[in-house]
Amino acid sequence: MTEITRRTFVKVSAAAAGTTAVASKFLFGGLETVQHTDSLLLAQQLQEDTVNTTCWIGKQDCGIVATRLDGRVIKLEGLEAHPKNRGTLCPKGTAQIGAVYDPQRVKTPLIRTNAKGQTGEFRAASWNEALDLIAAKTKPVLEENPKLFLWQKGRSKAKAFYDKAFVKATGATKLGHGAYCSDAGYRAAEYNLGPKGVIHPDFKETRYLLSWGWNITAAGGNKTCWITWPQQMLDAKEKNGLKIVQIDPRLRPAGPHADEWLPIKPATDMAFALALCRELIQLDYLDKPYLKKHTNSPYLVGPDGLFLRADVPADAEEGTVGKALVFDLATGGTAPFDEAEDPALTGAYVIDDVTVKPSFQLFIEHVEGYTPEWAADICGTTAERIRHIAEEFGRQAQIGSTKVVDGVEIPYRPVGIMAYHMAQQELGFQALRAMITVAMLVGAPGAVGGQLVDFTWKISSSYDKYENLAVNEGPYDYTLGKSKFFPINSGLPGMLAKVMQDPQKYEVEELPKIVMLHYVNPIPSFASTKDFLDTYGMFEFVSVLTPWLSETADYFADVVLPTATMEKYEGPSSASDQYIDGKTIRLPVMDPLFESRGEIEIYIDLCERLGVLYGEGGYIEQVNKNLPLKDEFALPLDKKPDVRDIFDRWSRMEGLEGGIEYFEKNGVWIKGPVPATKRYGYATEIPFGGAVHRLYGESLLVAQNKQKELGADEVYWRDYTALPTWRTPTMEASPSEYDLYLLSYKLIEQKQMRTSMIPLLTELSGKQRLDINPETAASHGLKEGDDVVVESHNAVTGETRQVRTVVALSSAIRPDTVGMPHHFGGWSPKNNKGLGPSSNELYYTGEGYVTCTADQSFHVKVRVLKG
Amino acid sequence: MTADTLPTTDPGSIRRPNEELPQKIGQLSPSWIAFFIAMSVITAVGIYAYLLQINNGLIVTGLRGLGSMAGATWGLYVAYYVYFIGVSFAGITVAALIRIFRIEKLEPVARIGELLTVVSLILGALAIMADLEHPWRAIVNLFQYGRPQSPFFGTFTMVIAGYLFASLVYLYVTSRRDAAILAEHDSRFKGLYRILAAGYTDTREQRRTDRQVTFWLAITILPMLVIAHSTVGFVFGLQTGRPGWFGALQAPGFVVLAGVSGIGNLIMLAAIVRSATRTKGRITLDAFAWLGKLLLGLLITYLYFTAVEILTITYQPGATELNLSEALLEGTYAWIFWGAIVALVAAAALLTWQALTRRWSITVVFATGVLVNIGAVAKRYLIVVPSQTHGQLLPYSTGTYTPNWVEWAIIIGLFALGALMIGAFMKIFPIVPLEETDSP
Amino acid sequence: MAKYAMAVDLSRCQGCRACMEACKIENNTPQGVFWMYVFRTESGEYPNTKVDFLPRPCQQCNNPPCVKVCPVGARFQRDDGIVLTDYDRCIGCRYCEVACPYGVNYYNWRKPEEAFADYNVDYKDPDIAAATGGLIPPYKNPALDRLQGTEQRLTAGSAHNVGVMEKCTFCVQRVDKGLDPACVDVCPVHALHFGDIEDANSPISQYVNRQTGFKLLEELGTDPSVFYLNGTPPGSDTREIERPLTEVGS
Ligand SMILES: Nc1nc2c(c(=O)[nH]1)N[C@H]1C(S)=C(S)[C@@H](COP(=O)(O)OP(=O)(O)OC[C@H]3O[C@@H](n4cnc5c(=O)[nH]c(N)nc54)[C@H](O)[C@@H]3O)O[C@H]1N2
Ligand SMILES: Nc1nc2c(c(=O)[nH]1)N[C@H]1C(S)=C(S)[C@@H](COP(=O)(O)OP(=O)(O)OC[C@H]3O[C@@H](n4cnc5c(=O)[nH]c(N)nc54)[C@H](O)[C@@H]3O)O[C@H]1N2
Ligand code: SF4
Ligand code: SF4
Ligand code: SF4
Ligand code: SF4
Ligand code: SF4
Ligand SMILES: [Mo]
Repeated sequence: MTEITRRTFVKVSAAAAGTTAVASKFLFGGLETVQHTDSLLLAQQLQEDTVNTTCWIGKQDCGIVATRLDGRVIKLEGLEAHPKNRGTLCPKGTAQIGAVYDPQRVKTPLIRTNAKGQTGEFRAASWNEALDLIAAKTKPVLEENPKLFLWQKGRSKAKAFYDKAFVKATGATKLGHGAYCSDAGYRAAEYNLGPKGVIHPDFKETRYLLSWGWNITAAGGNKTCWITWPQQMLDAKEKNGLKIVQIDPRLRPAGPHADEWLPIKPATDMAFALALCRELIQLDYLDKPYLKKHTNSPYLVGPDGLFLRADVPADAEEGTVGKALVFDLATGGTAPFDEAEDPALTGAYVIDDVTVKPSFQLFIEHVEGYTPEWAADICGTTAERIRHIAEEFGRQAQIGSTKVVDGVEIPYRPVGIMAYHMAQQELGFQALRAMITVAMLVGAPGAVGGQLVDFTWKISSSYDKYENLAVNEGPYDYTLGKSKFFPINSGLPGMLAKVMQDPQKYEVEELPKIVMLHYVNPIPSFASTKDFLDTYGMFEFVSVLTPWLSETADYFADVVLPTATMEKYEGPSSASDQYIDGKTIRLPVMDPLFESRGEIEIYIDLCERLGVLYGEGGYIEQVNKNLPLKDEFALPLDKKPDVRDIFDRWSRMEGLEGGIEYFEKNGVWIKGPVPATKRYGYATEIPFGGAVHRLYGESLLVAQNKQKELGADEVYWRDYTALPTWRTPTMEASPSEYDLYLLSYKLIEQKQMRTSMIPLLTELSGKQRLDINPETAASHGLKEGDDVVVESHNAVTGETRQVRTVVALSSAIRPDTVGMPHHFGGWSPKNNKGLGPSSNELYYTGEGYVTCTADQSFHVKVRVLKG
Repeated sequence: MTADTLPTTDPGSIRRPNEELPQKIGQLSPSWIAFFIAMSVITAVGIYAYLLQINNGLIVTGLRGLGSMAGATWGLYVAYYVYFIGVSFAGITVAALIRIFRIEKLEPVARIGELLTVVSLILGALAIMADLEHPWRAIVNLFQYGRPQSPFFGTFTMVIAGYLFASLVYLYVTSRRDAAILAEHDSRFKGLYRILAAGYTDTREQRRTDRQVTFWLAITILPMLVIAHSTVGFVFGLQTGRPGWFGALQAPGFVVLAGVSGIGNLIMLAAIVRSATRTKGRITLDAFAWLGKLLLGLLITYLYFTAVEILTITYQPGATELNLSEALLEGTYAWIFWGAIVALVAAAALLTWQALTRRWSITVVFATGVLVNIGAVAKRYLIVVPSQTHGQLLPYSTGTYTPNWVEWAIIIGLFALGALMIGAFMKIFPIVPLEETDSP
Repeated sequence: MAKYAMAVDLSRCQGCRACMEACKIENNTPQGVFWMYVFRTESGEYPNTKVDFLPRPCQQCNNPPCVKVCPVGARFQRDDGIVLTDYDRCIGCRYCEVACPYGVNYYNWRKPEEAFADYNVDYKDPDIAAATGGLIPPYKNPALDRLQGTEQRLTAGSAHNVGVMEKCTFCVQRVDKGLDPACVDVCPVHALHFGDIEDANSPISQYVNRQTGFKLLEELGTDPSVFYLNGTPPGSDTREIERPLTEVGS
């Protein structure tokens, strides 16, 4: 009723205003001026100030200075001192102001009033009511079995101390987003080299870069969100003449910055990497000292594929295995790997009547058949180009050279690979291992100008774990951790959806009962949409923390808790650009709008209600542990913490005078340059942190044996091979009318799904479309702007799925490939609507479409029909 | 009511009043009433559309920015502005031909031409006003800050101010005698005629000065006409940054096409007047033949220009010109382009055939008038729009522009307004000058 | 007197459109209006395709056709080279727009309060209005409505009143304060440079002198103040890709 009166009023007054306007134009000749007297007055009285904070959109927390007029933020600009963005911002960084003032934000806690699985109807609730309800639903589950409380998180931001504390304090099961991102790549790097990360080059020094599916002009690659590496890449081009080879079905990612474009066929990267390995061996571009000293290349492998090991001393602990043996050319006999003077890399040796070979010899034999001609066919390129790239890579590596950095002489190998989302293919884990092996052959890992993984060479805890992969007998917990299906398991929510649909198949007895969604929106964001639509209704209770009603919340939330956007504390986050170390904290640019609140506060209140806030093992103690806050800086376990005080304590503990005020004043704390001894694996106190690089994955083979033993199907064990082994991806079994590969990628103007409701960004990025080569389009009778139906096919189940979109011609994509950017397919905030579908509606998850490490592939075969 | 029955008044020679005004002045037949109502309604719709536009901004039209917005910022309003200004060519030309070359045959259509000039200039001015969001600001600022360097300013001052003023003077001077005659009638308009006559009594002396004044006015207006139409051409022709606009032929092309549309319109109007008033005998077939020949001459010149234009745009054009000429010759605008060419060529053929056979038919000449005006409107549209949508020099995506109902309502409203003005004139004043024999 | 110029290093540009966004927010420009526009283009045929980026602010011509054609002197050039529009004087004839070879002019098709309508976000929402004082867009900076420069004319503008022409102002409100334009300031890879080109020692002069470059449509004699470095002008088969949403009011 009031609505109608208001509308009528608006209409009447508009009409009146209109008439006056016309009248004034004609009768009084009013020379309408663009000055708004009232706003002018306003401007004179307005108080201008600035607040330091960090970007809340992207994943690298760029430093931001927010300009405010009377406390209203009017502009966000880059913070000059921040090493990651050096006073600049990307379009999202600038435009997040549109998200802050978005009237579509959830303004109060919401409680569902209609059935789930459809557009939600909610009523506004008080924080007390909403939190009480969540507590009431959660407590019994925690009492029964806390593991049945699923806490699901997406590409969250900053240091995960407050959320981790919540999981620890409640005992919930955590599922992350990484299996949709690049976890398979992390697993490969952790497995082969040790540090946590995927792979990236040492931009300051490198001269030749295989930009392997790095979306240079639009996305992050390993570790960063965007700005930092494009800056470094350009500086390297100008200063060192860095050459960029874009290995990608699309040229657009590198744009004008590619010196060479190798339009590879999707999902065939492993074949390419293996052929490069073979060529490097043929050309003898091998860093033998590195291979001998820092990798398991010389380890002798028996006919069973396992290492030959020294006897275990009698007094050793139970379970200890003997040291792997190598053949010492100096003595002509075997020796433990760390005792040999000159371990052999090649050859065959008969030890105790058994012929054994160094792993490297096996590798040589393994790749022998992976000729450039063989790979050219698979990858859709030519043998010459593969040879040429191998030759350049090997030559540019300058094997044997060294360089003095920070007074330390370190091997200099100015070649590298940037490969992040190469992990998002069916063979992802092993493909990444093959790529890392390319770098290993020339001794590039941890070298100056060479192959880096993390910003410092620190060995991840997984490295050791991978020595012995637990493959247990069922029943399994619903994440399938330590199962015969995925001995290495990234925790793919899509697999959980599969498990929920058929627990018996996966030998799972207990399914999660309730779920809390934190910074995550699986339905449009993750593959595959249908699996989530089919399973989220099975939860007894769903709570969602989000600034807008996400699509997942819309369909399935029982309770929605409105979180603040930039108006909250989060952090501390790294401000490092890999050369300068620093820390930053997200500071609220103003008080939270509406009734929204920062997550930290929300979790504190929720834990209080769940009775897990205070005391030993409680949330506060977990915060102390995870941030960490130590000694006199630790939070008292019996007092409800204040959020600003948490960061104040942390800042003081780090030795910053003034505590949090330091950040309020400076925005970023620059700790100084990262020394060579931390960055380069060769230069760390013990080189490479003592990790032996696994060219040969013995433990993978061991796991495979166990999988077989436990009766796992071939799909689960076939990629657990000691050496990356090519096989045709499952999708190739789709009928031939599914003639095109579909891939997806990021747009520079959007961050996953979380920005798609910011109209400022949609204005720049446009709507969903299907990139298609003009040649292909012509042969399918399509032209620019045509409506099309894209139909995908599941080669395992025969299922098909369809979406509608429009044709966007591009000569910068392979003719056998079509592309759809991520970021679309939302419907809940109203200006998400009508932008087109998500490619996740076409992708499949589960067998054939996930890696051996339970990571999602973003490839499927499709056909394109006139719409 | 013949001349000889009327006593002569001294010292002039105006005839005694008659019971009935000539040419059905003041008489409103049902069909005339219907005509006025219809035209008023159409005009009112136009005004409504205009108010909508003034209230909400030009967003209610099909116009949009050129370049990244991929539209046309000048559209129907500007095309018709150019068209209307072109039509104004007619009156002055004919008047000048009569005065300077003493082509008496055309005398009866002279006033139609003059009226056409005045009305079309007003419509042109209104069309350009329709294009402006702030018409009043435009008028004030043009006076206050006008910059003669701008071709636009030129068209405004020259065309609207100078040309309109001169035409009004011309129309007035050539009408005084008729006003004086009519003032002798007892009619509702007597007062008006008196004022118009302003003491004119048609003395020999007065007639002589009038002849002289009109002669010299004609002589001076003639170059003004060329300049005015050229400046309209310059609005486009001086723009090096607009493919398809820049060129030396632009200005002469404008003048000639102005002539084509003007004479075409004059022919149509004369034919209508001829059947709507009792003046059949006065506007002779000869007059139409003469106008037809004049039209043919202009048309052939214009077709020559067009041929040259097609040659230039297809002969080794740059990328943008190629894009543009493709759009014109085989793309989006081809139907308009070839439609215009067909209309113009057909008109030329019809006229040539008549000229060669020396068998003139008013209906056929009328038809050529219609044809050339269709052609002229189309050509005006084609000069204004495609260069914006298809002639970007930077790699903007191709634009589109479709005039929407608001624009059409306003333009059709303008035509209706023009019809109203001419109709009203015809009901107030003799559209065909009273016969020479009406006075000694 | 300084003479301001901008340099665009095409070998650095990532086509990221941050400059477009920063311009929009700095100048509160309406939807579909891009005082800064970044072309993303393709040329050549697969696999010899080229992808290029070309940022396009107003070229701030020293022989500006837009100034020449303006019938009322609303479009004018300052001594420092900046070509501006006096919104109080502009009659909205859009002649500058058709005369400019670069397509940089943007007319206000809608009333300011409607100008963001297709964003489909209700900025009049009372809860938002409470935080923004009802200003549209919510990040509006009313200080821009002040008269600019020694000429004291209304040339920066946050009001965007219907029926007048606008375009890139080289961020006159910032330049007059000694700041770089918003687009230059934001550029993540420092592809944009700004400064006094007449001062041979200014960073921009040095930058421009060190590299090879061109100006857009130089042959037209407009004499732009925007230098494009380390790249090539768009060629005859250059095709625009990834066009932003520019439709308004449909
Ligand atoms: N603007 C923006 N920046 C972002 C993000 C964002 O959403 N928007 N997200 C951030 C996050 S979470 C991440 S993980 C990073 C991701 O950073 P990137 O990994 O650099 O980005 P993506 O766009 O996912 O990259 C996919 C690229 O791989 C190519 N590709 C697809 N399939 C294949 C294949 O089979 N072989 C090869 N060789 N190439 C293939 C695609 O063409 C595309 O160029 O970006 C971060 N930065
Ligand atoms: N087809 C396809 N799918 C992809 C990708 C792809 O390239 N193609 N990329 C993948 C990659 S790399 C990643 S990392 C994942 C990311 O997937 P997600 O992590 O799910 O990322 P978003 O879609 O941004 O979802 C974040 C959700 O968190 C909520 N949110 C936003 N801000 C806040 C906040 O401040 N607080 C809280 N509590 N919630 C907030 C919003 O509801 C938002 O929708 O997507 C993957 N999905
Ligand atoms: S690069 Fe990422 S973190 Fe930095 S401003 Fe852009 S979105 Fe924010
Ligand atoms: S901000 Fe810089 S890199 Fe991005 S498009 Fe603009 S000029 Fe290019
Ligand atoms: S680019 Fe266009 S608007 Fe800018 S100064 Fe030059 S002609 Fe004028
Ligand atoms: S639109 Fe305004 S600035 Fe442009 S020419 Fe017309 S009056 Fe001048
Ligand atoms: S100089 Fe200012 S107004 Fe011009 S494009 Fe850059 S930000 Fe926009
Ligand atoms: Mo990611």
